[in-house]
Amino acid sequence: MKVLKIHPEKCTGCLRCELACSYMQTGDYQPAKSVIRVSPFEGHTSYAPYTCTQCAEGWCMTACPVGAITISAVGAKDVQDDRCVGCKLCTIACPYGTMFYDPATRKAFKCNLCGGAPACAEACPTAAITYEDVETADWLGDFARERTARVLAEAR
Amino acid sequence: MTPVAATAPKQSKTKTATTARPGAFAGNLLRVDLTRRKCWAEPWGPDRMRAELGGVGLGAMILYRETATKDGKKNVAWDHPDNRLVLGTGPLAGLPVWGTGGLTVCTIGPGTNGPTSTQANGFFGTNLKYCGYDAIIVQGQSKDWVYLYINDDVIELREAKSLIGLDTWETQNALYRETGLAGHQLSVYSIGPAGENLVKFAAIQGDFGHVASKNGCGAAMGKKRLKAVAIVKGTKALRAADPRGLMQAAEDMSHDLQTDASARSLYEYGTLPGVVNLSKMGALPIKNYTTNLTANVAGADMAAWEAPKLRENFDHRGHQCNACGMHHCHMSVIRHGDKKGQIVDEPEYEGWSGCGWAIGAADRDGVAWLNTECDKACVDVNEWGWLCGWVMECQEKGYITREQLGFELKWGDIKGAHRLLQMVSRREGFGDVLAEGVKRAAEKLGGPAKDCAIYIEKGATPRGHDHRARWEEMLDTCTSSTATMETGNPVHPTEIGQPARINPFDGEQVAKYVAGLRGRRSFEDSLGICIFTSRTRLENICRAVSAATGWTFTVEEALRFGKRTASVNRATALRCGHTGATEYPSARYGSTPVDGPAKGQAIRAQWEKMLDTWYAEVGFDRKTGKPWPKTLKELGLDWLSKDLWGKKS
Repeated sequence: MKVLKIHPEKCTGCLRCELACSYMQTGDYQPAKSVIRVSPFEGHTSYAPYTCTQCAEGWCMTACPVGAITISAVGAKDVQDDRCVGCKLCTIACPYGTMFYDPATRKAFKCNLCGGAPACAEACPTAAITYEDVETADWLGDFARERTARVLAEAR
Repeated sequence: MTPVAATAPKQSKTKTATTARPGAFAGNLLRVDLTRRKCWAEPWGPDRMRAELGGVGLGAMILYRETATKDGKKNVAWDHPDNRLVLGTGPLAGLPVWGTGGLTVCTIGPGTNGPTSTQANGFFGTNLKYCGYDAIIVQGQSKDWVYLYINDDVIELREAKSLIGLDTWETQNALYRETGLAGHQLSVYSIGPAGENLVKFAAIQGDFGHVASKNGCGAAMGKKRLKAVAIVKGTKALRAADPRGLMQAAEDMSHDLQTDASARSLYEYGTLPGVVNLSKMGALPIKNYTTNLTANVAGADMAAWEAPKLRENFDHRGHQCNACGMHHCHMSVIRHGDKKGQIVDEPEYEGWSGCGWAIGAADRDGVAWLNTECDKACVDVNEWGWLCGWVMECQEKGYITREQLGFELKWGDIKGAHRLLQMVSRREGFGDVLAEGVKRAAEKLGGPAKDCAIYIEKGATPRGHDHRARWEEMLDTCTSSTATMETGNPVHPTEIGQPARINPFDGEQVAKYVAGLRGRRSFEDSLGICIFTSRTRLENICRAVSAATGWTFTVEEALRFGKRTASVNRATALRCGHTGATEYPSARYGSTPVDGPAKGQAIRAQWEKMLDTWYAEVGFDRKTGKPWPKTLKELGLDWLSKDLWGKKS
């Protein structure tokens, strides 16, 4: 199982991932249409990219009233444009804020892992975004468990 | 004949572009009239885009076309409402090519009261182009302080009273709060107290640590009462004519930067290696050019100044510009001393020099802190080094008394230097004299104090090097029309028919080299790309421009373009009164090093001959400073020839 992994400590905030993503989505460079977004932290000294984790629960998929979100061959939750009616329920259901709505096309859009070759990982100059084989798809849960154990151990 | 702007090609009055715009351009120039409080979009067409590109190419033409006096015979002064402040990007800005957040500031600056072209990076160019504009042209003067807010098609001049007195970092944070945005969602370029108080070497600072610093462009912005330009990351699209070609060129450029011997250290450590490397050449300026031996600075341990150690001294984190993979710009946290915990922008070489070696300071934490204080006050760190170092030397020698200054300032005193910085940026006490810049302050004091001052006779100051060991930079700085280097350092010189190496202390060779390298820099500065990420073969850059725009842009066209731009700037400079007569270094700037690797190398002994050679090689008239008609004709500037030499030429 391959997933997108994000290593925020390596991100320098160059936003190359947003350019690459928007190019894959639209054929143009338009960061506003990117489904990976970089946020600043710690007084603008740190940045971290963030995108859909392809979470096991699939809240967007559950909420969609017309079954427009399906799981693709590479394990990504993918919006089927011909079925999406643009009701935006998925954008409300997603707890991670990684479902987007495009007023121009009136469709929802999200990360589909570029069909198995994510452009953001390819574009990142510092390997802050990698596409890796992992044991479980629930890497976010693994990350949370590992981090919680570490933080608690440090606190003791 | 005095140059006029009569025959400069007029802009098309057509409101819409006649043919499809080339890829990579946003398609509009944003015109801001502060006197009338009006902003409007000016579409520009493909012919003009190819002729002017952006950045200094566009800015030089706007200054020439629009800053002549009403009778066309002279140029307006830097503080006149008709002065223009051009904030330009270029065709590569915002694209996935390393270091393309580019901002080029072109204006008539107070240092020389002549044209300038000075660059910064960050996300200015990216945000502006995704809002739909290739450049901002500011004219007029506002009655009250305002800031310019740009969010796609929403363009507003907003009241800036609450921002007055804030430094540049505080201004950016205040605008984050006001707009509810953060990070690169909002690019802010602003002036601090020095710009507000019209300090003649005030800079424009943006995105926490990026500075367009030359010729007092921050004072030109302050005179217009424009506190800041805040640009929301726009939602519009940019299209490359050949996206695959663009990616290929971008890959080749980054490959060069990572592997080529001339760029690899820059890729790894930015400009940090400059300190040690230049000290070995005698080009690190120490204590206001009084010595070239690092041992003469108290507490200097050169092992601690090697790039890896310099970086590791701080808790640091990459802070790159648009799409950049260099390990260059960093945000750092000070780990030791009384400034422990403070966030600073990792100084560039020029910061280590201007806030460190030039003023006899070798405390890395203190120097880094003072450098960011300069950025916050919006003071050019280069002129700051020459000014502060000069005051220190003058105090030591008794030319400036303790009573005059108000306190005692000794070599290496970071706290005292900071006190001086506050006095200068607020024009308090003796700071008011110093705020006029090194040349004017030195002339006011006169006598032996004047002989210690480092400046160019044109009125500005050089960048933070000891040019007595880098003759090509001194010649370039003095003959330039932009108050700073116009030709720049050699980058793959053999690609454009120049020798790989020359004898750096042979005036003849130096002058030929400076003339021969002309053109490339002005071209790069028109693209919206960083000076460092363009340290690749020119052919790669031309391929990127071609793929982005859909044109076939060759190395020959690039060089011709650059020389054309420099000639237009020269014509504006002539109109401002800068003939060849002021192309000299001050007594100290052009003096002979008394120690160090360049000891005894006397540039002034060869200066006249160097000027003769340079003029002949570039095709300019030595007596009047004008480009010969033949030179202009070769560059396709027949119209400029008519302006400069009259119709019979």
